[in-house]
Amino acid sequence: MADPYRQLGVPETADDHTIRAAYLAAIRACPPERDRQRFEQVRAAFEAISSEARRHAHALFDTQVPTVKDVLDRLSADWRPGHPSEATLLRVLGRPE
Amino acid sequence: MSSKKRAKPARAVAVAAGQAGSLDATELASAALAAARYKDAVELFKDLLKRERRPAWLDGLAAAYAGRAEQLAAKDMVKEALALWRTRAEACQVPLLDGPYVGWLMKTGQIEHALRLLPSVDKLPAAQREQATAQLAPAVLVAPDHLLAGLSPESLGHRAAARAALAACSQAGARGDPAPLEAALQGISFRSPYRALRPLLKGLSLLATDPTAAAASLARVPVPGPCRALLQALRVCLMPGTEWLAGLRALDDAGRTLVLDLKGCPLPQRALVLELMARSGPVAPAPAELFDLLQRHRPVLPDGAARPLALRLLPHALQRLDAFRAGFGPLDAADQARVLALAAELKLRPEDAEDHWLRLVKLLCQSPAGQRRAALVLRRLADEHAHHSADGSLCVHALDWLQQSLKLDPTDRDTNLRLLRDARRAGDLKQARIWLDAASQQFPSDALVLQEGVEIALATGAYKKAAGLAKQVLQADPINPHVRTLVGQSHLAHARKLIGAHKPQAAQRELDQAAHWLRSASDRGQLALLRGLAAEPVETGDSLLREAVADLGGALVGAFHLLLEAKRVKPGSGFAPQELLRRAAVDAHGTADAAEVLALAQALHATPQREPAVTVALGVLNGMLTRAAAQLQLGETDHLLLCEALHRHGQLELTRRFAAAALARWPGRPVFVYLEAAARFGAVPWTMPQTEWERLDRVFEQARDQGDERTASRLSKLLGAASGPGAFDVPNGPPAFGAGSIGGVLDSLLQSGYEDDILDLARREMGKATFEQLRREVNGSKTQFAEALVAMLKAAAASDAGAPVLEPVKILPPRRQVHKASAAANPNQKDLFDG
Repeated sequence: MADPYRQLGVPETADDHTIRAAYLAAIRACPPERDRQRFEQVRAAFEAISSEARRHAHALFDTQVPTVKDVLDRLSADWRPGHPSEATLLRVLGRPE
Repeated sequence: MSSKKRAKPARAVAVAAGQAGSLDATELASAALAAARYKDAVELFKDLLKRERRPAWLDGLAAAYAGRAEQLAAKDMVKEALALWRTRAEACQVPLLDGPYVGWLMKTGQIEHALRLLPSVDKLPAAQREQATAQLAPAVLVAPDHLLAGLSPESLGHRAAARAALAACSQAGARGDPAPLEAALQGISFRSPYRALRPLLKGLSLLATDPTAAAASLARVPVPGPCRALLQALRVCLMPGTEWLAGLRALDDAGRTLVLDLKGCPLPQRALVLELMARSGPVAPAPAELFDLLQRHRPVLPDGAARPLALRLLPHALQRLDAFRAGFGPLDAADQARVLALAAELKLRPEDAEDHWLRLVKLLCQSPAGQRRAALVLRRLADEHAHHSADGSLCVHALDWLQQSLKLDPTDRDTNLRLLRDARRAGDLKQARIWLDAASQQFPSDALVLQEGVEIALATGAYKKAAGLAKQVLQADPINPHVRTLVGQSHLAHARKLIGAHKPQAAQRELDQAAHWLRSASDRGQLALLRGLAAEPVETGDSLLREAVADLGGALVGAFHLLLEAKRVKPGSGFAPQELLRRAAVDAHGTADAAEVLALAQALHATPQREPAVTVALGVLNGMLTRAAAQLQLGETDHLLLCEALHRHGQLELTRRFAAAALARWPGRPVFVYLEAAARFGAVPWTMPQTEWERLDRVFEQARDQGDERTASRLSKLLGAASGPGAFDVPNGPPAFGAGSIGGVLDSLLQSGYEDDILDLARREMGKATFEQLRREVNGSKTQFAEALVAMLKAAAASDAGAPVLEPVKILPPRRQVHKASAAANPNQKDLFDG
């Protein structure tokens, strides 16, 4: 399971209420009939950190190896969508088919 | 194959064709062309054209050249393909720009060369002109103006509109104003080779705000076309989550830059992203590799991002502990203990892990904020020990850790309940009540705590209290079926107590109360029996008892329930078994039929395993059952059901009889062999004769061959018990022990695979510190360490004794290694009475 805080889009300091709200919003956005896999990821993430005791347990005992995607998640957390320059677009378009 | 070698047959064909006449030669050339043997076709058509420049033969030669050139291009021999195409144009007098020539020029980077052909494009027929224009379009778009001298005014207009749209797209993103982009896109003609830019740039402008609309816009772009590279990059941008990282692998540098621009990746982080991309394949990088990557790029990672990730990697890459300290700052003692504990667990070294966890507990307890986390660690340690227990019961260490954990975190209801249930299961009701009081103080209206209160009250005979607590549970949890049954049972239990105390009216009132709660047939049967037992004068109860016996399924099972209930009524009631059977009109000398026997099996299944009244009841009914074993012809499944039920209640003689009867009908059936042997030797395995052991060993193999893993596992345990250290034969007289005999015993244990037991014993006797020190010194496998310990013990025993004083007792070779290969029973082959 990827970082449950990232899965739910909450900070590591989030409280029970915030986590529950994020969970409900996430399952509204991806109900099981639409995206079963994503729903199960969200559900597992919520179960891992839904209470203070579970958050402590996750911090103490989690042995999931961080993945390349976890690193990218952390890295891209502060990114804001950008726009390409005309030169960049021309470089892409200038390639022969 | 070289061209020289291939030329030979073509020349031979041409010569043959020359001899045969021009008609045959034409057919041969056409056949070669149709069969895609372009080199042969070229030779044949060239020979034909030497005779006469017939237009059809020229067309054939042009087609053969084109086919051959495309074959070369398909093999990435584009330069050779270009040369052949130029030969084709000269030899066959066809336009050079016909076909893929421009595309190949662009592919080999000869863009200026391609652009110099622009004046020729307008002279081509319509279809060829459109193809050439599309091929030149990317080059035209990015070319400097001085290279576009030959471009038609219309094409220049298309180019200008496309460039304007690109500029507007770039500015729209920067300014947040989409109107200029809309206007610029309207300026692209539907005849323009850049017409795909309209949905593409529209999609690009929607990427961040409306990905669904962006995807819909991109779906309208035809895949082959001059804007394919932009389409591909934008599709990568739309990939969900972090999947775009792997999508980058399919793009070139320009495409990747575009994606990273759109994602908003800052320039300093791009090298790291590209390294991550290189490792985003199907095989995940090793933890140490990912750690090194984080360390190298630590300065460009956001504040506080690198350290937690590296810390999570440390248990998997403990060799990077020093590198962590050097790169990410000091590691506090608690974090270090946690990392070492997790690393030890991952390396399957539970003893080391336990040491580190306990050190972590000490460290966490030093501050009030750490106490709840310390409690969690202690609970985890207890869980680990409970996993090793066959029945999930708590060992001394686990109990101690859970008690400590509860002191550190008294709000943990589940731990409190766990301790309570463990004490109740162990029969320590005094301790269970202490835990119940503690839980009740913390959670006075919790349904589970109240339910435990009901169970303890029932176990201690406080039936009124049990009923009162059960009603409280139902207030908190009105549809709890377990508690409804508990309330009914608590009234029944109270009624039994009152019957025993000769208070029939009060007992009837309790039974009336119980009737409100109990619904199942067996519960109603119990109720009816107790009404019969409570009735006064006694004679009035006889008819009630007879009706109840009939309702419960006949003489055998009815009598069983009657005797069970009579025994459950507290002593002093004076219910003599034979008298009860007479009152209920049960003939204990009769013979039960198959349905009654099966009903009894079901009743035994529903009765708690440790109920002593079962033995009393079955003792009274022994005659009926013995006759049934000898006379009844039950089906195999029914036979098994009954044998397992009797086995479960420890009815050894009856189990043996029914299992023997089953074996008489189905000889050698492993499960019945086991049940019969377990009834005979289960309690005294050391008395098992060698011949019987060997027979069971054969049946064990047979069960395993048949896939009956459960029976194999049970046989393995029985054989193991019979082969254990207690099973040594001592032929003559009492054993004589000396240094040699101890050594012999230890060697034999080692050979029999008991090194774990030897190590456990040594650890207990030496103390953990000495044991661990020796283990480090020996520094070998577990078996080597056990052997070293045995050698040391033998040496110590010999030195204590001075010399081997007596010959070792004769120890028979171990009968067989305990069947370790027979793993735990398949969970799909549960006991017939497993829940």
